[in-house]
Amino acid sequence: MGATEKRMEQLGIRLQQTDWKGKGTAEAVLAGDMLYLSAHYPVNPDGTPAYVGRVGGELTEEQGYQAARLCGLNMLRTIQSYIGSLDRVDYFVKALGLVNSAGDFYNMPPVMNGFSDLMVEIFGQRGRHARAAMGAYVLEGNMPVCVDAIVRIRR
Amino acid sequence: MIHTIWEDGREITQQFPKYKALIPIREADGVVYVSGHGPEDINTYEPLYRGRVGEDLTLEEGYAAAAECGKTLLRAVQERYGSLDCIRKMVRALVLVNCGRGFQEVGKVADGFSDLCVQVLQDRGPHARTVMGTRNMPNHNIPVEVEMIFLLKEEYRAKGEKDDGRV
Repeated sequence: MGATEKRMEQLGIRLQQTDWKGKGTAEAVLAGDMLYLSAHYPVNPDGTPAYVGRVGGELTEEQGYQAARLCGLNMLRTIQSYIGSLDRVDYFVKALGLVNSAGDFYNMPPVMNGFSDLMVEIFGQRGRHARAAMGAYVLEGNMPVCVDAIVRIRR
Repeated sequence: MIHTIWEDGREITQQFPKYKALIPIREADGVVYVSGHGPEDINTYEPLYRGRVGEDLTLEEGYAAAAECGKTLLRAVQERYGSLDCIRKMVRALVLVNCGRGFQEVGKVADGFSDLCVQVLQDRGPHARTVMGTRNMPNHNIPVEVEMIFLLKEEYRAKGEKDDGRV
């Protein structure tokens, strides 16, 4: 405890303590030139799921594609709010797409194209990225897709 | 036998390194990558929790197991760099949750790790996070596994990288 804190203690002045519980995650973290993005989900602007269910089960591959695209749109909103303008995106580096898959569904890459196609549509060559697409057993809220990414930012 | 090594027609004895890396850590330009680890004893690898969340374990136990993963990882970082002061800020975590049938609250399990990070590191703790539910996990079906990336303070850079990434 510093001298100032000791003085405050003598005076009986207590500061409120920060409650860190539930504040462990950020939508994005900037490390050097790299912006690390949390997994983004196909949610509406109010945060409610726009798609629920497993691809190849309750949802079709096409719906999975649209859900992955919505993940991308939500991610762009996050990037914009963190760095001001999407012009500052140098290029996409890497993306990890998780697809909530029904038992016999194996077409994860075509589903993830919903995300990748969007980035190439918007950024051209700068939008291309290394990618892994993987089938997951469970995703938060039984949503069909989530995508995280690493993006290089211009200073 | 799979571990037998033959050299010039002679069987040779394998020389294991003095320290076997339990939690390998790699540093690249101030970014530190810590291997995925479960809620395990740091020396014996013995799992402290076993089973699927929502089936063998409750959500609260899953949360506690995720926090235990965090403690294990932070301990590894502390051993490697001498102090957790070395962390400039957390960057990213990938959390795998071993799920029982019908269990969906994987984020709440992962909060066990994330809450620990902010309790210990405070404003250096928040990180980007990806959480995934899985069905099978190593080491007798541990319930959670976490891997993480953090940014290293300048003064700790390239310290000990010569020892081939061992803790």
